[in-house]
Amino acid sequence: MRVTAQVQAATRRRILEVAQALFASQGFEATTTRDVAKAAGIATGTMFNYFGSKEAVVGSLAAEALADLDVDFKRRDREGSSLEEDLFAFVAAGLRRLKPLRKHLPVVLEAALSPVRGNVDEECCRLRVSHLETVSRLAAKQLGLKELPAMALQIYWSLYAGLLLFWANDDSPRQEDTLGLLDDSLHMFVRWLTDSSNKPKEP
Amino acid sequence: MPTIAELMQSLPEAGAEADRLPEPLAAASMRPVPVGRLRRIGLLGTLQAKIAAAYLFHWLRGCLCSEDERQRLLRETHWRTAVRVLDSMGYLRGAVTKMGQTLANLPDIAPKEFVQTLERLHYDAPPMHWSLLREMVHNELGDDPENLFASFETRAFAAASLGQVHGAQLPSGEKVAVKIQYPGIARAVTEDFQNLNLFMFPARLDKDWGYVKGQVDDLRLRLEMEVDYQKEAAMLARARSLFREEDGIVVPRVHPQLSTERVLTMERLEGVHLDEFLRAGPSQEQRNEAARKIFRAWYRLFAAGRVFYADLHPGNFLFLPDGRLGMIDFGFVVALEDELWRLCQRLDRGLTTGSREDRAAGVREWSVITDDEADADRLRLSVDFSDWAWGFRYCGGEFDFGDEAGFRRGIDLAAEMVRKRYTRANPCTPSICRQNFGIRSLLYRLKARIDVRPIVEEEMKAAGWDRHDA
Repeated sequence: MRVTAQVQAATRRRILEVAQALFASQGFEATTTRDVAKAAGIATGTMFNYFGSKEAVVGSLAAEALADLDVDFKRRDREGSSLEEDLFAFVAAGLRRLKPLRKHLPVVLEAALSPVRGNVDEECCRLRVSHLETVSRLAAKQLGLKELPAMALQIYWSLYAGLLLFWANDDSPRQEDTLGLLDDSLHMFVRWLTDSSNKPKEP
Repeated sequence: MPTIAELMQSLPEAGAEADRLPEPLAAASMRPVPVGRLRRIGLLGTLQAKIAAAYLFHWLRGCLCSEDERQRLLRETHWRTAVRVLDSMGYLRGAVTKMGQTLANLPDIAPKEFVQTLERLHYDAPPMHWSLLREMVHNELGDDPENLFASFETRAFAAASLGQVHGAQLPSGEKVAVKIQYPGIARAVTEDFQNLNLFMFPARLDKDWGYVKGQVDDLRLRLEMEVDYQKEAAMLARARSLFREEDGIVVPRVHPQLSTERVLTMERLEGVHLDEFLRAGPSQEQRNEAARKIFRAWYRLFAAGRVFYADLHPGNFLFLPDGRLGMIDFGFVVALEDELWRLCQRLDRGLTTGSREDRAAGVREWSVITDDEADADRLRLSVDFSDWAWGFRYCGGEFDFGDEAGFRRGIDLAAEMVRKRYTRANPCTPSICRQNFGIRSLLYRLKARIDVRPIVEEEMKAAGWDRHDA
């Protein structure tokens, strides 16, 4: 029987929904792909047609959560705010959306966020590109640059990945330490960026 | 430890005029509260070294110049050091900022440049940026401020030790002040006290260590309570109910639906702080009237509210255009529970009769002083301090609160008691002393000349105190 694109999309959606519910109720480690498949009403083998692993499921959930983050952020864009403030608001908006997945993020961070590793998930790749495009746009606008150098993006991404990892394990009240770390990291990044963009070019 | 470069940088530059010095709010102060015992102790240690280096350098330079020049350099050193202290305290916030506020409450005792600069810690500490604060509001109230309020000022209009305050408008049109706590401040307070215990390690050998520990623990407990805005909201509601329209004293109304442990939304009072009030050149009678209101408010809270308002500093009072006095912060209060309340009632006798024997009896009880000959000097000093702290209360007649020598005497007595390690006293003594210095400092700044006794009598009578034996 031929499975239509519509059915495929519905099945995929169902897998994501039941997986998120299972991760939340019994934890990521205790949930098997078999559990997810069973709850979604499909065979375990069929599930692998959609997601190669349960880490990939979390990656897709994260990608979905952050899909229209840029649009969301643009609505909050404020005149006269500094680059640090803009970046803070952008990252913080993402953290809010990722909150239901916070505890499960470490297991996919290495695979999904590594800038050097070959991509295991196309969605995560798109997510990274989209995120960095926004960062680049914000920084370029504030600093009057055409685009951010590759080194700057690399540094930013390392800080961001570190922050996510910290956040996933942050047990301070309402994860307030993450807000502090985010602010410190962005302060450091923006200072470095400003200094390096003001430095005269070598002849 | 500070690097040599940092120490060198901390040295004042020759020839720089204090007036041209930069604004103290360095960018570093606007970072979130630094958390972690070692980090906070390191920052404090660096500050201490910088201050020491600045004064050492002043002393070295002073050997080579005229007396006039030396005085000018001293003022410059005070100013520069105060800026550094302000910067560090503004950054560290929490209990460290409270220390700076206390120092700023000692006009004419600490150098003028220090007091003027540190006064900013009462209401003008460096604020944190809006994006960070918005996350705090979202975490606490479950939505963005833009959605909860009809309008919200992204720039804080006041910032102090534990949080900063933003103006906003409710959908109903009412103007409100939203106090938002700095992230991490509760733990910063706890860590400051852990560091304090470390500094006080040598004092453990003292025979009165148990009393000192009790007082430090009491102070910690009060500051930890202050970081719970729900408790402050309850105190605000209680205090508000104690004042009537004819008192000319107003406590803002709380909006509980927009308040949590870390966010406090209350009616916004429009007025000016003490320094602005004084800049307008009020007459003696206007200053006296302001002083009477402050005194009445303080005594009403004690006699009818059964609390000592221990946060008597300029940042917590507003002078409204219609002449009313606004009290805007109720985080740091000492609730007089049964045992303490009964002790206060017993002490009242000495404060009413004015007899030294009666006051000595109260002091003995408060400070656990025995008839032992070894305690004679302790008793003498404690009674003298009690005279200073409460003399205006039983003397009657006009009392000149603006007398500099009188104000300084209290500081000297307290310093002598600390120097002699006369620390044995009720656990809430540091808070009560803060209160005593606070009220004297406020009335001193106002240069008030008032008779407080009628106010005390009115308040005691209205509260129904049984004083037939006094």
